[in-house]
Amino acid sequence: MNVEEILDYTSFTIDREPHIIVDQTVCAACTDRACTTACPAGCYNWSRSDERLSFVYDACLECGTCYIVCENKAFIRWRYPRGGFGVSYRMT
Amino acid sequence: MTQYFQAIVVGAGPAGSSAALAMARAGLDVALLERGNFPGEKNMFGGLLHRMSSLEAYIPDFWAKAPVERHVNQKNLTFMTADSTVNVQLESGNFDQAPYNGYTVLRPKFDKWLAAQAVEAGATLITRAMVDEVIMEQGQIKGVSVLGRTGKLYAPLVIAADGVLSFVAAKAGLRSGTFKPDQMAVGVKALYDLPKQVIDDRFGLTRDQGCANEFVGCTGGVRGGGCLYTNYDSVSLGLVVHIGSLKKGKKTPCDLLNAFADHPHLSKKLKGGRLMEYSAHVIPEGGYDMVPQLAGNGMLVAGDAAAFCNVTGMHLEGVNFASHSGILAAKAAISAHKDQDFSEQKLHGYIKLLDNSFVLQDLKKFKHAPKMLHNDRIFNEYPDLACRLMESVYRIDGKPKKGVGRLALDAVKKTTGVKNIARDIFTAWRAL
Repeated sequence: MNVEEILDYTSFTIDREPHIIVDQTVCAACTDRACTTACPAGCYNWSRSDERLSFVYDACLECGTCYIVCENKAFIRWRYPRGGFGVSYRMT
Repeated sequence: MTQYFQAIVVGAGPAGSSAALAMARAGLDVALLERGNFPGEKNMFGGLLHRMSSLEAYIPDFWAKAPVERHVNQKNLTFMTADSTVNVQLESGNFDQAPYNGYTVLRPKFDKWLAAQAVEAGATLITRAMVDEVIMEQGQIKGVSVLGRTGKLYAPLVIAADGVLSFVAAKAGLRSGTFKPDQMAVGVKALYDLPKQVIDDRFGLTRDQGCANEFVGCTGGVRGGGCLYTNYDSVSLGLVVHIGSLKKGKKTPCDLLNAFADHPHLSKKLKGGRLMEYSAHVIPEGGYDMVPQLAGNGMLVAGDAAAFCNVTGMHLEGVNFASHSGILAAKAAISAHKDQDFSEQKLHGYIKLLDNSFVLQDLKKFKHAPKMLHNDRIFNEYPDLACRLMESVYRIDGKPKKGVGRLALDAVKKTTGVKNIARDIFTAWRAL
């Protein structure tokens, strides 16, 4: 199963505003972009045509991997979603 | 609305709820804050809860009351290559009777129950409360503010039990703002639905017996390991990989977990299992060297927030350390209230309690283990060595046999080399 299919089995309550915002200038200059492979939910994707790093916050598992793997600290904001929003584990 | 308490606990996980339970039992007015809709909604782990010896003092017959899945009487360590496995199994009679040595657990159920014990003791649980800022006056912590809510919560003492990234401890200046990728791991897990009878038959279990199985050699060359835990009528399959190594390997955790589940050894055990949930979380694996400042003026740090995880290769403990540290933080808090002294100096009593307990003693004893585990050979070469050796011992091919010593030497020479293995055995001996 690919990551999109796997994430169908996890529940989320999506907030209006993102809890993580990346700094596009830092990401554009990054040679590593480890976030694009290390994120367990595949939330980070580098678009070659747009030269932009997209972050899809609504499938974020709030695990913290990107916060640690990014050594350029490319986050304008990195916090957990507001109370009651975000990933909702029911069984795990 | 401004509210006043005698203590605020941030995070209703095992550390926070244990702390709130112990303080509430002592008569303190405690607020237990949880950012999820219910405690456990945000929490995941591999699935093995070790014996909660300290909690048993607060909750007698813990195993009969807690919503555990199965008690673990069967422990397995499996070394695996693409097509072979070598398994070391312990099936213990002692682990099959109370007080049990460990249990499989599902966190949304368990954490919710543990927080409810704190509430029953008198703690005030406030859910959907994501702590935004720490309120500090003249260097003394006075309370917290909650994101998106007007009003603040005040208390002379705040216990940061907000998990591995602990922004609360960071905002209070008790830990540095950055983590080293080499000190952190990420765990990913898939939960599969399987009927109880199928699990019992496949794993050789009966009644509420459970199996815990850890794996080495299943992480596609990335440093880390796998685990499989039997719940009552589901199975947890997980991988834990070092983030520094994951970064270098350019592999995705999800692909690694898929490959693990597809391994011939695992796929037959999971056959027919329906995926129910996928989850992930970071684990502090730096050991004693990454423990932050544990006490400040008006603050104590417990559980994952304090990096209290004991990962040595043999031990993979977290929740029992979290719960015990929470209870010790509560004891320090009770003493601080008695003396009405919330200074860092007074709260250092917490560190003394930790020093006298397994929490800091074990972390200190195994402080070289994290470094020992930063050895790619353990994950890439030794599983192959173990499989080759056992295969050569049992192989019948019509030729005269070699002695076991000779076979071992041959296998070592073909894989790791004598020098490397000697060095690694020495390092492991020192670390463990």
